[in-house]
Amino acid sequence: MNSRSRRPSTYEVLREHGFDRRSFLKYCTVTAAAMGLDASMVPKVVEAMETKPRIPVIWLHGLECTCCSESFIRSSHPIAQDVVLNMISLDYDDTLQAAAGFQVEEIRKGLIQQARDGKGEYILAVEGNAPTADGGIYCTVGGDTFLNILLETAEHAKAVVAWGSCASNGCVQAARPNPTGAKPVHELIHGKPVINVPGCPPIAEVMTGVLTYILTFDRLPELDRQGRPKMYYGQRIHDKCYRRAFFDAGQFVEAWDDDGAREGWCLYKMGCRGPSTYNSCSTMKWNNGVSFPIGSGHGCIGCSENNFWDNGPFYERLSMVPLPGVESTPDQIGKTAAVVAGVGVAAHFTAFLARKAMAKGKEGESGSGEKE
Amino acid sequence: MASVVKPLDPADAAARPHRYFRRQYVWQWPIRIYHWVNAVCVTVLFSTGLYIASPILAPAGEPVQHFVMARFRQIHFVFAFLFLINFLWRIYWFWMGNNYARSGFPFFWRPQWWRDLFRQAFGYMRFHAGHIHLGHNALGGLAYTIFVIALGWAQIFTGLALYSESSPSGFWGGVVGWVIPLLGGSFQVRMWHHLFAWGFVFFAILHIYIILYDGLQYRNGLLTSMASGEKFFKDGDLEHDTWIS
Amino acid sequence: MATQRVVVDPITRIEGHLRIEVMLDEHGTITDAISSGTMWRGLELILQGRDPRDAWAFCERICGVCTTVHALASVRAVENALGIAVPENAEIIRNIMWLAQTVQDHVIHFYHLHALDWVDIVSALKADPKATSELAQKVSPSWPKSSPGYFADMAGTLTKFVQSGQLGLFQNAYWGHPAYKLPPEANLMAVCHYLEALRWQKEIIKIHTVFGGKNPHPNYLVGGMASAIDMQSDNAINMERLNMVRTLIMDAIDIVEQLYIPDLLAVAPFYLEWANYGGGLGNYLVYGDLPQNGIGDPSKFRFPRGVILNKNLAEVLPVDLADTEQVREEVAHSWYEYQSGQDALHPWEGETRPKYAGPKPPYQQLDENGKYSWLKSPRWKGNAMEVGPLARMLVGYASGAPEFKEVVEGALGILKVPATVLFSTLGRTAARGLEARLSARWLLAEYDRLIANLKAGNTATASTERWEPSTWPAECKGFGFTEAPRGALGHWVKIKDSKIDSYQIVVPSTWNASPKDGREQHGAYEAALIGTPMADPKRPVEILRTIHSFDPCLACASH
Ligand code: HEM
Ligand code: HEM
Ligand code: NFV
Ligand code: SF4
Ligand code: SF4
Ligand code: F3S
Ligand SMILES: [Mg+2]
Repeated sequence: MNSRSRRPSTYEVLREHGFDRRSFLKYCTVTAAAMGLDASMVPKVVEAMETKPRIPVIWLHGLECTCCSESFIRSSHPIAQDVVLNMISLDYDDTLQAAAGFQVEEIRKGLIQQARDGKGEYILAVEGNAPTADGGIYCTVGGDTFLNILLETAEHAKAVVAWGSCASNGCVQAARPNPTGAKPVHELIHGKPVINVPGCPPIAEVMTGVLTYILTFDRLPELDRQGRPKMYYGQRIHDKCYRRAFFDAGQFVEAWDDDGAREGWCLYKMGCRGPSTYNSCSTMKWNNGVSFPIGSGHGCIGCSENNFWDNGPFYERLSMVPLPGVESTPDQIGKTAAVVAGVGVAAHFTAFLARKAMAKGKEGESGSGEKE
Repeated sequence: MASVVKPLDPADAAARPHRYFRRQYVWQWPIRIYHWVNAVCVTVLFSTGLYIASPILAPAGEPVQHFVMARFRQIHFVFAFLFLINFLWRIYWFWMGNNYARSGFPFFWRPQWWRDLFRQAFGYMRFHAGHIHLGHNALGGLAYTIFVIALGWAQIFTGLALYSESSPSGFWGGVVGWVIPLLGGSFQVRMWHHLFAWGFVFFAILHIYIILYDGLQYRNGLLTSMASGEKFFKDGDLEHDTWIS
Repeated sequence: MATQRVVVDPITRIEGHLRIEVMLDEHGTITDAISSGTMWRGLELILQGRDPRDAWAFCERICGVCTTVHALASVRAVENALGIAVPENAEIIRNIMWLAQTVQDHVIHFYHLHALDWVDIVSALKADPKATSELAQKVSPSWPKSSPGYFADMAGTLTKFVQSGQLGLFQNAYWGHPAYKLPPEANLMAVCHYLEALRWQKEIIKIHTVFGGKNPHPNYLVGGMASAIDMQSDNAINMERLNMVRTLIMDAIDIVEQLYIPDLLAVAPFYLEWANYGGGLGNYLVYGDLPQNGIGDPSKFRFPRGVILNKNLAEVLPVDLADTEQVREEVAHSWYEYQSGQDALHPWEGETRPKYAGPKPPYQQLDENGKYSWLKSPRWKGNAMEVGPLARMLVGYASGAPEFKEVVEGALGILKVPATVLFSTLGRTAARGLEARLSARWLLAEYDRLIANLKAGNTATASTERWEPSTWPAECKGFGFTEAPRGALGHWVKIKDSKIDSYQIVVPSTWNASPKDGREQHGAYEAALIGTPMADPKRPVEILRTIHSFDPCLACASH
């Protein structure tokens, strides 16, 4: 990790803040004791704090399904344990943490305090999102609302990584009617770099790729308009899909398990969202390259796109027209409009002819033939 | 632009003074070219668009032997750009052309425009023949503004946004990429583009009918005017159009 | 008399947000407990008005830890409502996916969510690699990674990690707590296997990737599975794909037989006292799963259906999900209200109306006499029930199914303990291991069943006659179920005019983590905690042990 040379060690940070060597040693002894180590370990702790800090990461969990964590631990390169044990210091993550209860909250508060005092920094990773309705009572941790915890922890974070569609765009709990007022992270946190890593969940290697990129190059990845790293969300599934040849040829699966399905034809007519979805599935694939949704015969449901849940039904190519009170597809509306126009025209013309015939009749009676 | 006003047939006119039709060169060639290119583009775009939405010709055999879907898309894109250039051309001619080139503009801050709008609408509904407009009447102008200009822009922006999707950081992505998040994502853009397409059908049905009806009712040579450029009018008709500057 | 109240929030190493409050008497024994789910998303409301064919995807996102089971229950519910019978291959593929999920989930739970309740990482630093190697070879002779060199390396890595001063996930925990009983060598072995299991869990789920395109959250389909089978196509399930699945199955069997079960049996003897605690309700509910003759024929399930009441293994009672008198949910202590005014509702008539009535955050404690959880209280004929691997093992065992008898009696024999130890924290943890053992075997059996089908020329994977909504009745209702890793899962759907009219989900962790009901009967977690002595109320290892033995999933539970 070349960032080591640039990021100050704990000792350097403490020294900058007026700690002398003696107080530093005392700090190490206390730390060692807090970690349950006996005195013989103190010199090692001292050495570590002087030389090699790993950046602490606080991984918060809000309204979510924890699938992003599950995806993360599926990473093959690097494998998750390397990230967690050697690259970062995952200091807070309620899903995997050994300690529980107030011991856990103490860790988080400690990191915030250190950062507030300028004695340390941390990256905030957020999985899930925050309910904002009714004072945030739809998700609490340690008796406080997740909303408060998120805001409090973000305030001093160096950067914020929004894992998955929940954190980046709201995902399933924010789908209509969004009963808890769930909001994605970037709508709640301002004035901080927020990296959106959407996907439900994101591909494991995309997650570890984003983290290791930050650590290796000591900078945040280049983001697109929606705050997503361009390196993984720069192109559509559709433009890199191995079934694209069938799309161009016009060969489509028409029904599940039909001949086209067996030959692996394009899933466009089964509602595939590949043409509307930016993600790396069709190139990197899932679970170390084994397959991806389309590769296993089901269309993409667009799981990394904003509001993809409300773009259903997933098996229709087009969504309903999202106008209040309208329960129709664009084609239904369009055809109705065309019929209305046609009927209107026919009615008008019929009335016109009738009127003309009547006028002719009258004309004949009165004998004045000039006016039209 | 010089207005060329020629008597239709002086002899006939003298014989039947109240039918003294005159002829006016109204639609300059750029408008006429625009009109027919536009009509062809819309027809092709709508039909290829519908095919793209639900492709039905399923060729058998290997994909390398076929290019059906891609060809439809290709045609759609070629006509889309033609449509765009033609559209921009018409906008250019809005400034450069004669008065009639600007006559469709909705002058909604002018009371006369509103009066003309209602008079025309009621006229159609009660089968009245009022005076003849040489340019567009207010109702026609409004229809073109909504169903051709606004819808045209909408279709161009959504279409180009869809077109830019294969390379969001490319040229078109830079120009119209903002449309995608604005409409709530690519899927929504597609939906609106598809819905808007029907707007042209709605317009075309009414438009062609009105052209036929209006021509029949007013005897103004409307139907052929988009070919020849010339419209007929009677004495006195011109006095009504003065609010169009 | 309660003299002290201990609050643990967040409960970590679980899925979701769980809060436990216990009351201790003057000896430090738990006299009362409440379990509170502190998150709610409203999936049941979000599902209303949607296309029933999409429901599986929404439901699947209830949980990414037990990913797939909600999708499975959902497609089954919709198929049940619409009268769709899936092709046999689809049934088998779903069984294979179910089994892969269960094995993976149980292994993850044992090593990554539960182990640190029993294993002291810091003590592992003191282990002698050679002695560790001997121990490892004794408990699992054929597991390859057990040389002294391996353990020396791993100990080195661990030491370096600890000495880095950044303990990450392991800081501030309860190392050195008197409740930790393992010798350093066993601790080191367990820590090494924590990492081995972490490496392996990402392999087994590739079975989902083959059939469902990804994991977490593989794709399902109403009417079957979307992964077509064609041996002549390189773009469908073919020989290569099947070979991959088989290889993964064989690895899974190795992990379960050579790592999980040996570790379980090696650790258990140090904690036999935990056979006395954590039993709880003694009522067990199983819907059954792994159909062999269609989902409509429970008599042919590999996991038998049934209920055991009051630890009475002599009688297994029948269960009917469509009987409106059996499964019903109450909200007496839940942050919901029923407009119908009734106390308990069968899910077909179920209501989801949130009504928060707890203290204003930030708060210190909840009121056990009022409403205190985002979970409803499901009850079976009015009884609070435990669901999960222990329930399944007991119902299988009590039903006399030979494979259950074999694994249960085998383990009891090795530990030299009677069957009554099963009704406990330890029993629950052991049952999960035994279930993983059965599941790994059945993976191979289901794979063979699939191959036999293909050999007979049957390659269908989806039934499509009822795909189009125009073929559906104007109104219908159905239920779908599965045995999720954490227990009996049911989805109840009503469809009207091709749209979901109502959708109710009753989840395993809802049963287990439920608050009290209208008759003040505790849910399974609460009941299991009562009676457990705590050595140091500030360091709640005992609470974690029992709660973790259920493998809580709160995103599931409240949904
Ligand atoms: C048989 C088919 C058509 C005929 C005979 C026809 C005829 C005409 C005529 C006579 C006008 C002048 C009307 C006026 O004075 O207001 C006109 C204007 C116009 N038509 Fe058509 N039209 C046809 C089809 C279409 C189609 C398919 C479209 C496009 C959707 C279209 C778009 C327009 C537009 C935009 C104008 C205003 C022209 C301008 O001011 O630039 N027309 N058409
Ligand atoms: C009158 C004008 C137009 C009409 C009626 C029209 C109609 C349509 C329709 C119906 C579709 C199918 C939408 C769907 O169901 O997904 C479509 C697709 C599309 N149109 Fe247009 N369109 C018009 C103009 C344009 C323009 C100006 C562009 C600009 C480049 C454009 C680009 C596209 C693109 C990129 C697609 C998607 C093709 C694909 O993803 O395969 N269209 N159009
Ligand atoms: N409880 C629960 Fe689940 C399971 N197993 C599902 O139904 O965990 Ni997420
Ligand atoms: S983004 Fe999707 S996968 Fe990730 S936590 Fe949210 S619901 Fe689960
Ligand atoms: S399967 Fe989907 S992503 Fe692939 S080419 Fe077809 S429409 Fe595009
Ligand atoms: S559904 Fe999601 S996993 Fe990829 S192929 Fe589509 S973005
Ligand atoms: Mg429910």
